[in-house]
Amino acid sequence: MPDVDAARRALQGALGAEEVLSDPLSLRLYARDASMLEGGCALVAFPRTLADVVACVKIAAEHRLSVVPRGAGTGLAGASTPIGDALVVVTSKMSRILQVRPHDRLAWVEPGLANLALADALRPYGFTYAPDPSSQQTSSIGGNVNTNAGGPHCLAYGVTSNHVLALDLVLSDGTVERVGSEAPESAGYDLRAVVVGSEGTLGIVAAVCVRLTPLPPAVRTMVLDFEAVEDCGATVSGIIASGVVPAALEMMDQGSVESAESFAHAGFPTDAAAVLIVEVDGTPAAVEAQALAAEDAARANRVRTVRVAADETERALIWKGRKSAFGALAQIAPDYHLHDCVVPRTRLVEVLVGLREIAARHDLILTNVFHAGDGNLHPVLSFDRRVPGTLERVLRASEEIVRLCVDAGGALSGEHGIGLEKRDFMPLVFTDEDLSAQACVRQAFDPDGRMNPRKVLPDGARCGDFAAARGSVVAEVVADLPEGAWI
Amino acid sequence: MDLIHPASKADLVEVVGDANADRRRLLPVGGRRHLDKGNPAEVDAELWTTQLDRLVAYEPAEMIAVVEAGMRVGELNRILSEGDQEWPADAPADATVGGVVASGASSVRRLKVGALRDTVLEAEVVTGDGRFIRSGARTVKNVTGYDLHKLVAGSLGTLAVIVQVALKVRPLPRSRRTLRFEGELDVARRVLMAVPAAAGALVTAAGVEVRLEGWAGEVEEQSHAATAAAGRALRASDDGPFPSAAPWETRPVVAEIAVPPSRLDLAIEGDAWGALAGVGLGWVGLGDSDGQLDALRERVRQAGGIAPVIRGPGGLGDEPVPAPDVHRRLKHAFDPNGVLAPGRGWGGL
Repeated sequence: MPDVDAARRALQGALGAEEVLSDPLSLRLYARDASMLEGGCALVAFPRTLADVVACVKIAAEHRLSVVPRGAGTGLAGASTPIGDALVVVTSKMSRILQVRPHDRLAWVEPGLANLALADALRPYGFTYAPDPSSQQTSSIGGNVNTNAGGPHCLAYGVTSNHVLALDLVLSDGTVERVGSEAPESAGYDLRAVVVGSEGTLGIVAAVCVRLTPLPPAVRTMVLDFEAVEDCGATVSGIIASGVVPAALEMMDQGSVESAESFAHAGFPTDAAAVLIVEVDGTPAAVEAQALAAEDAARANRVRTVRVAADETERALIWKGRKSAFGALAQIAPDYHLHDCVVPRTRLVEVLVGLREIAARHDLILTNVFHAGDGNLHPVLSFDRRVPGTLERVLRASEEIVRLCVDAGGALSGEHGIGLEKRDFMPLVFTDEDLSAQACVRQAFDPDGRMNPRKVLPDGARCGDFAAARGSVVAEVVADLPEGAWI
Repeated sequence: MDLIHPASKADLVEVVGDANADRRRLLPVGGRRHLDKGNPAEVDAELWTTQLDRLVAYEPAEMIAVVEAGMRVGELNRILSEGDQEWPADAPADATVGGVVASGASSVRRLKVGALRDTVLEAEVVTGDGRFIRSGARTVKNVTGYDLHKLVAGSLGTLAVIVQVALKVRPLPRSRRTLRFEGELDVARRVLMAVPAAAGALVTAAGVEVRLEGWAGEVEEQSHAATAAAGRALRASDDGPFPSAAPWETRPVVAEIAVPPSRLDLAIEGDAWGALAGVGLGWVGLGDSDGQLDALRERVRQAGGIAPVIRGPGGLGDEPVPAPDVHRRLKHAFDPNGVLAPGRGWGGL
């Protein structure tokens, strides 16, 4: 049995009394991330240094607590939702920029640093940090690393994995290892690449070496609107097929345009069936060439109007409208469930049609804001949980949405991760042997299964047990969680 | 030495499964272009993937190509060129896709196209104990479990045999130009300050060669900016290959160095070398004597990097791997009987 009191005393001794929380309110506060899933924990600790992180992991091991790493808590899949006797290690007090080295095109930062704070700090050097999740004002680099976060600008620049050179990782036995390198290649297997996107299950990321991306000399942002969603989808494929890889290619349906517009007043046409935000960057000539090609593709697909942001203010406003679209959805109904799945971009339109059918069948309001260029959909179901039977309908619709995307050749998650929310869907896309191999990776890093247990892989997935990796069904997971955990 | 040529994935699964049961050691082989990279491995048979060379799926609007591992790079790029796209491996045309991925080879245009391992979106592999495993997805974004496909990339055939990959491909540049300047690394760095999105800036003993790729007007603008930063270009060519010459290739042994970009100066020595400014990769041609390689590795180590040999004898070097226990457990989990290229990898794995 874990000895929580002894663990608390040891943590207070190592980190200082004020850096350890164990009162009921705090434990409740850290029992969930930004997903609908609520769990429970035994202790919460706030390390300030690498040594603090090591102390947390060692003390947890000694007193048989599991360890749940947490950044800003903006995760949407329950990866930071603790279960059972867990020590939640919150990295928010480790938020310094340690080094910026423009000549090496790299920077070292602590995991609790906010994504946007990093991008802002790099701008004077002529660089940026390219991945820009919509949560970038609050979400932390450590959290971004653990979810292999995306964002609108990943279409041209790539996801977090492409921008992380090295990590200082604290393993479950308290050893510290640097995986990856400041050099472009390093000795050994690419452990860095597996840790990125591992949702806190392989170790705690205590420092991150990020790659710097040069700021483009010119940027043009355009808003295109369409009378038919199909035309908008065809424009997306048309732009890519013409040889243009826009810096961003974002689609919003009428519902999300309406809600974003009433909040941000970005000038999006609320009577359009779909709005496409196209951003191209590069040298002035590259911007011109790409903008022309994008406009041609849009005209070939019956675009209604093409609006070009006249200046930086207007451009910022367009992005404010896009990135606040989810928050603005609160105006539609008191609750919403935000999905994340990926499909081949040539199948976007048929999947959109399927999504509308699912929502209609379950009498739910569906809106769509998504990274169209990547085929990364974010269907949002809005509802009022106080209406009896609603939650059940949301859950059923959610499962159908996942199956629809998988059947279209897609993946379970494009950028939010699997966490707790989708682990039991893993057998939809992987065989027992695939999952067993993944369990081997996890076991290689954490033989005792102490790091963020029961996340990512279904309970049945075991290394070396190739026949029995069967997932439990969602209902059983829910039964394992405390009362009222869903939503 | 036995040579085994499986004709299908199912064949290959059977071959590896049998070898595992019989403790027969295998060296996975593609186009033989990257075989020198890695420590010497004593094996009983070569397992050729060259008959697995089908194009499985390619849709230009997806910018993804799915190919079997034995597909030759030249053939792949011929197919992709019909969709005005490329897989920017910059490898010999007869190298196989599987070989390029497994060996962790780099493109000379890495500054612009990134690391080749980042183009691997999905892989099907056969582990040392004969399990057929798939990881990743045919989408450009995907956070669904652990990225085994990235672990296998660059693992030199020591964890699993790659049988198929889904690759992120890119549009062919509309326009290309190579500019040549007099000077050394400092000149290349000045050019990259002015043209940070260049495809490459290769420095050799003969000078600096800057590759520009993109839209026609863009290449024109970048040429002006590069020239303003570095002085008049000695020569410009619109169609030539990049690099136009590879002086290190004339030597019996070639080491590929990787250091933080600002420390390239510390690592390079001699006259038969090339260094990619802003990237930190370089190639150094050496004689046969071990002394030259040892001295190079010592300099590179001081600079915070590695220097595996990619042609000739010399292996990877004895740079320690991080988290050695994790490495050992991974090797054991995927190849419990050590039948896949035993000892070829970093750390003797």
